Amino acid sequence: MSTQNNSTDKSTSLPTEQADEVTEVQKHTYDPSSFLSEISGKQVVVKITSGILYNGFLQTVDGYMNIVLENTQEIVNGEVKSKYREVFIRGNNVLYISAV
Amino acid sequence: MSASIESQGSFMTEPLDLIRLSLNETVYVKLRDGRELTGRLHAYDSHCSMVLGDVEETVSSIDENDVSKVTTKTNKSDMLFVRGDSVILVSPCVPEKL
Amino acid sequence: MLFFSLFKTLVGQEVTIELKNDLSIRGTLKSVDQYMNLKLDNITTLDEASFPHLCAVRNIFIRGSVVRYVHLPVNAVDTALLEDAARREAMTQAGTPVK
Repeated sequence: MSTQNNSTDKSTSLPTEQADEVTEVQKHTYDPSSFLSEISGKQVVVKITSGILYNGFLQTVDGYMNIVLENTQEIVNGEVKSKYREVFIRGNNVLYISAV
Repeated sequence: MSASIESQGSFMTEPLDLIRLSLNETVYVKLRDGRELTGRLHAYDSHCSMVLGDVEETVSSIDENDVSKVTTKTNKSDMLFVRGDSVILVSPCVPEKL
Repeated sequence: MLFFSLFKTLVGQEVTIELKNDLSIRGTLKSVDQYMNLKLDNITTLDEASFPHLCAVRNIFIRGSVVRYVHLPVNAVDTALLEDAARREAMTQAGTPVK
């Protein structure tokens, strides 16, 4: 609790431009679901628990992290193994979704 | 009832809509343990459990003696229920293998 | 709910259940519950050599979570009805899109 207070004290003592920068960063990093809506339609890489990567355009995501990608490459050990026009990935297999 | 079913239309707003739009179409399903299925989708639920017709299953496994060798075996089934927890991905068309 | 209803209509039919440990069991479907736990009668295993301890078993309860596939008798399944039921269920429980 006291450390948190210290850190807020520090941020308030920053010059105003820098303080603005912090809130701008917070807007992008501190809310996972706003990140997801931000990258919908964009090119993403999805890694699943088996280590396989899927590189494609994010169409939709839901609360279970079920994902639909368009024009997707399946990458196994760094090599493109297959291509999908559209693919649904079941959310429980997802490790991460990253914007490229 | 059927009118309101029509009104769901072909628009996709959530991921499971892709599976709904594949009803009565051939789908490709990738499962855990190196299993793949292609068959006609007759039913699914929110867990991705499915009933597929005219299914061909391909099982890929690493050769016991030679780790670099992969053996595949295919099986057929007329009507198959697949439990959703084994599903990794579902695609409305068979992927282009490279 | 959809598949619970489907399996209820299949009670009395011969089915083959493939488990996640690769064991396949064929028998008459006796009952099913909401978790897709299944009871079978008059069972035979397709691979008795690797599971000899099941030879004497006639009646079995299978926990739903260990099932990989259930092979269904094709003439006992009305596919058009299933597709309609699947669309109807999708409509009643539209998911929660991420905002």
